[in-house]
Amino acid sequence: MDQALVRNFSIVAHIDHGKSTLADRFLELTHAVAARQMREQYLDRMDLERERGITIKAQAVRLRHGEFELNLIDTPGHVDFSYEVSRSLAACEGAILLVDAAQGIEAQTLANYHLARDAGLAIVPTVNKIDLPQAETEETVRELAELVGCDPADVLRVSAKSGEGVAALLDAVIERVPPPSGNLAEPLRALIFDSSYDAYRGVIAYLRVIDGRIGGRQRVRFLSTGFSLEAEEVGAFSPEPTPVDVLEAGDVGYLVTGVKDVRQAKVGDTITLADRPASEPLPGYREPKPMVWSGLYPAEGGDYSLLRDALDRLRLSDAALVYEPESSLALGFGFRCGFLGLLHMEIVKERLEREFDLELIATAPNVEFRVVRAGGEVLEVHNPSEMPAPGTYEAVEEPVVLATVITPSSHLGPVMELCQARRGTLEDMRYLSPERAELHYLLPLAEIIFDFFDQLKSKTRGYASLDYEHWGYQPANMVRVDILLQGEPVDAFSAVVHRDKAYQYGRTMTERLRELIPRQLFEVAIQATIGSRVIARESVRAKRKDVLAKCYGGDITRKRKLLEKQKEGKKRMRRVGRVDVPQEAFIAALRVDQVAGRKAGA
Amino acid sequence: MRPIRDDDAGLYVHVPFCLTRCGYCDFNTYAGLDHLKAPYADALAAEARVAAGEWAGVPFVSVFLGGGTPTTLPAARIGSLLRELRALLHLEPDAEVTSEANPDTVDGTYLTALREAGVTRLSLGLQSFDPVVLRSLERLHTAESAAAAFAAARTAGFDDVNLDLIYGAEGETATSWSETLERTIALGPDHISAYALTVEPATSLGRRVAAGLTPAPDPDVQADRYAAACDALGTAGYEHYEVSNWARLGRRCLHNLGYWRGRPYLGLGAGAHSYRDGQRWWNVRPPQTYLDMVAAGTPPISGRERLDDDERRLERLLLGLRTAEGVPGSSVEAGPADALVGAGVAERRGERFVLTDRGMLLANEAVLALAGS
Repeated sequence: MDQALVRNFSIVAHIDHGKSTLADRFLELTHAVAARQMREQYLDRMDLERERGITIKAQAVRLRHGEFELNLIDTPGHVDFSYEVSRSLAACEGAILLVDAAQGIEAQTLANYHLARDAGLAIVPTVNKIDLPQAETEETVRELAELVGCDPADVLRVSAKSGEGVAALLDAVIERVPPPSGNLAEPLRALIFDSSYDAYRGVIAYLRVIDGRIGGRQRVRFLSTGFSLEAEEVGAFSPEPTPVDVLEAGDVGYLVTGVKDVRQAKVGDTITLADRPASEPLPGYREPKPMVWSGLYPAEGGDYSLLRDALDRLRLSDAALVYEPESSLALGFGFRCGFLGLLHMEIVKERLEREFDLELIATAPNVEFRVVRAGGEVLEVHNPSEMPAPGTYEAVEEPVVLATVITPSSHLGPVMELCQARRGTLEDMRYLSPERAELHYLLPLAEIIFDFFDQLKSKTRGYASLDYEHWGYQPANMVRVDILLQGEPVDAFSAVVHRDKAYQYGRTMTERLRELIPRQLFEVAIQATIGSRVIARESVRAKRKDVLAKCYGGDITRKRKLLEKQKEGKKRMRRVGRVDVPQEAFIAALRVDQVAGRKAGA
Repeated sequence: MRPIRDDDAGLYVHVPFCLTRCGYCDFNTYAGLDHLKAPYADALAAEARVAAGEWAGVPFVSVFLGGGTPTTLPAARIGSLLRELRALLHLEPDAEVTSEANPDTVDGTYLTALREAGVTRLSLGLQSFDPVVLRSLERLHTAESAAAAFAAARTAGFDDVNLDLIYGAEGETATSWSETLERTIALGPDHISAYALTVEPATSLGRRVAAGLTPAPDPDVQADRYAAACDALGTAGYEHYEVSNWARLGRRCLHNLGYWRGRPYLGLGAGAHSYRDGQRWWNVRPPQTYLDMVAAGTPPISGRERLDDDERRLERLLLGLRTAEGVPGSSVEAGPADALVGAGVAERRGERFVLTDRGMLLANEAVLALAGS
């Protein structure tokens, strides 16, 4: 195909601004999918994506529009996957910046716009949902024009739902997005912008060919790893994967590698030909870096090996997932897992439970701390129980993000209070319009991984939006709070928190556990400590009565069965020292929203 | 009576008729089935006739007429039934023969006839002297009529009388419970059973509690009531010999001890359970079904189980620990046993491992700790 007739583009938008619906309309309009095979959110393949209405994995689809070949690359829409988004954008020459006419510009709109602009893409500003009764189309057009610096007349107006304006939008994409300008004569350079795993065919790399060409059965090399293999097949998405003879500069498609581990075809890596390699990789490659850590434990101790196999399988298709075995006094054997963020963590946990039929207990997520020892040695702490004792280190550094919050001006006060309560520093603020403000805060990641987003939503009646990017590390006054039952620390409940929040964490956890731990034969002391200092204390009174009042002839069988049931229940309990703690207590105590230790107004 | 042996049996006879259903009771009993009484009494004898072969030569040292309300049957019918049973089974001549009775169903004449019919021990459902509690338990009798029934039992010649009490019902106070205990002691019964009110799901009380209309009994309050009972009854000279049972010297209930010691028993009647040689079986519950099956000459058995070693061990623990004799010290594992002793729940008394007064109320926990995993 003549590169002049190719357009590679993606749609970037805030969640729920209609990205997947617009993609559906493109598929219909270009007859890419037969009407009877059409379904909503066509490009979101995973059940999880469809249920949650989000895109987790990138997808690509080739559309034919007149004489043009359009490659739409559907990107994930969440900050956890911003690296994947940036790679998807790097595979394009243009992006539709889609904004909901009723909602206006949101934080992710900004974040994605900046990513697209930084990638040098042509932007096609588009206002969606113009047919909604509450649409404020002109206001949104004005905001959008101001953001991208164009004439309001150049902003497209569509309803992805009804299809109004969608054809004109495709025409605009052809007109405004430049064709690829790769060099066919150069050695092959193809960008991996995503990958998937197929049980039979191994890893399938999603490619954008930048320079050169590649056909099936050619030997290729991955520049970051040096790994090489023979391509089993190359193809295009039309929209189902369809083999082609060759992919050349400007094309988007896939390569079947046959290898069994996605780590050999990493997102962002450059593929070249083994016998005529390119000397320079494409820019922007980065190793995935886990930002949030949590311990995953099987609810049934016997399921440990199942969990290990499930993680081994999942990592084949999820290059960002890292894990190492760990054991907890309270929870038994499990894995400390690193995730890109909270959504990634939720997705992994849900996929493990759903696809591998496991019941899991997840410890409260924590960020990675850098502990600087005397002499400058830096220790990376992924698990609160690895946090050294106070006084044995020079400093602790915690990860910080640059957060963008867009809020109605009327709720500015509560939003700023919230950010300040979370140890935020205001970096910048501007008004998008008299009604809406854009705030930039430096915030410790630890402060936003719990319920920050929920709090933000509740303080702005749902109107505020949030996005963030990783900024770096800063020194922080962190302490480890341990929770003890009868003097025995429960490692799963240890947390590294800011000194100012330690008391609150201790209070919340001890109060919570007082409600969750069943009464035992003795009074159970629940303590929160920093080092040897007790900062909060609760107790569960001794149980006084647990007996069937009557036990005569007919009752004996029933009574025995009741006890057998009670015994089964005890078996499911974890013993901490002398204290029996039901599994449900761990799960409830570790629930993210409740562990956070922050009540409304905090 | 001669010393009791391990293979001495008890005979339980279930009479599933009541004037009304009490709100807390989930026993197999029915109001409004009066027309079945006569055929039912006949069926009991017929069932005994079928069972007789299997139980030939087994000495029965006790009979317990329970229910329901056995005294809804005419005293004369009870008398003839006991004679029929004696003719079919080997009842020891001086066997303990208990009948439960509801204060409302008995008077002097009836009790005299019952005593003459061969009943040696009477168990009266007194429950409380507090009118508020009696009302909340939906008992028809008054404190006065219960006291009168007790006096009538003495007059009729019953020298072995038990009074049943219930604590923890709605409306009861610490004071009213102490009064009930004092007035009960003042009557001078030979045996007292004091039960913590238990909310059973399939009862009107259970439904009211589930619906939030009646508060569930507070286990801590019940523990206080229990402690008060232990104090008052102990001071009055009653021996606490099972979780819910106190007796004057020599007046323990032989029949019930049989259950707790794991001795065999034969149950006759609708829903009655039997146990022998590690096997337990139970009859169909609906009286009409029971009658039909007996009439057809079919054993009216609904189900049976054979206890495996673990189940037998668990039963020995759960039954034995309910009693003042506990279980042999050699039968419990030292680790968990010592932990229970340390917690004040149990103690070693010579060769025996027994629960303390406080521990009896925690018998489930103790059994689970000792049963291992």
